[in-house]
Amino acid sequence: MDILDTLNIAGSGLSAQRLRLQTIASNMANARTTRTEDGTPYQRRVPIFETLEIDPFGSDVERNIAQVEVSSVETIEDYVEVYDPAHPDADADGFVSFPDINILEEMVDMMTTSRTYESNLKVVDLTREMAMKAIELGR
Amino acid sequence: MSDFLFDRLYSGLNNVLDIRSQQHALSATNLANAETPGYKARFIPFDQVLENAVMSTDSMAMNRSESAHFVGTGAVSNPEVEEIEAPPWVENGNSVFAEREMARLTSNSMVYGALTRGISTRLSILRYAASDGKS
Repeated sequence: MDILDTLNIAGSGLSAQRLRLQTIASNMANARTTRTEDGTPYQRRVPIFETLEIDPFGSDVERNIAQVEVSSVETIEDYVEVYDPAHPDADADGFVSFPDINILEEMVDMMTTSRTYESNLKVVDLTREMAMKAIELGR
Repeated sequence: MSDFLFDRLYSGLNNVLDIRSQQHALSATNLANAETPGYKARFIPFDQVLENAVMSTDSMAMNRSESAHFVGTGAVSNPEVEEIEAPPWVENGNSVFAEREMARLTSNSMVYGALTRGISTRLSILRYAASDGKS
């Protein structure tokens, strides 16, 4: 375990949060999308986070340090039926299926994403500071 | 390594420096996994580390000349890691609290800075002695 491991951990956190922000952006942009390539309405995307152990056979500490990875991005098949007979995609009864996306929920997700991203950046900063202190030992 | 030049204080400082950088990696892990469902925050309990050091009877332990003195700290190389259970109101079972982790991270790196300062001072004392007192 060395200082690079710590930077990699913070880096994994940064990229996971960036990917999450991308899914949020995609969800918000497509909140009213009724036509995708296969003809169904857009489905809300959710990134799945998992821990990724670095050294499963090391000491107690080494076994406990882990990166984070986005193992998959899953889609949630859930629609909201809205009565709008004038809509081109309305069914025989006049209902249109919209993606089940709550903009407020996405906004809250976006804020936690940016906070977590910031805290990982802070780790990078502090790691660099500590490395510099270690380099300057004995000066 | 000569006991004469690099004494117990020096190796003790190095030892704690090591443990502090391990704690730093654990805090980095916790913050990276702050949104991972079911993840439990991990940390090195430093009071436990101190207790082990005081109780340890290995050759690194220091002797006391006066019973009122603190017991010398022995070397602790492989500290145990503890996990924090998530409180029941957390839906996804994740026990990382960003504020607590940031506080731990900041205080840990402050202690790290103090330790490097201590080692540097120790080395500069040696250098001063080695150069016949002509700093």
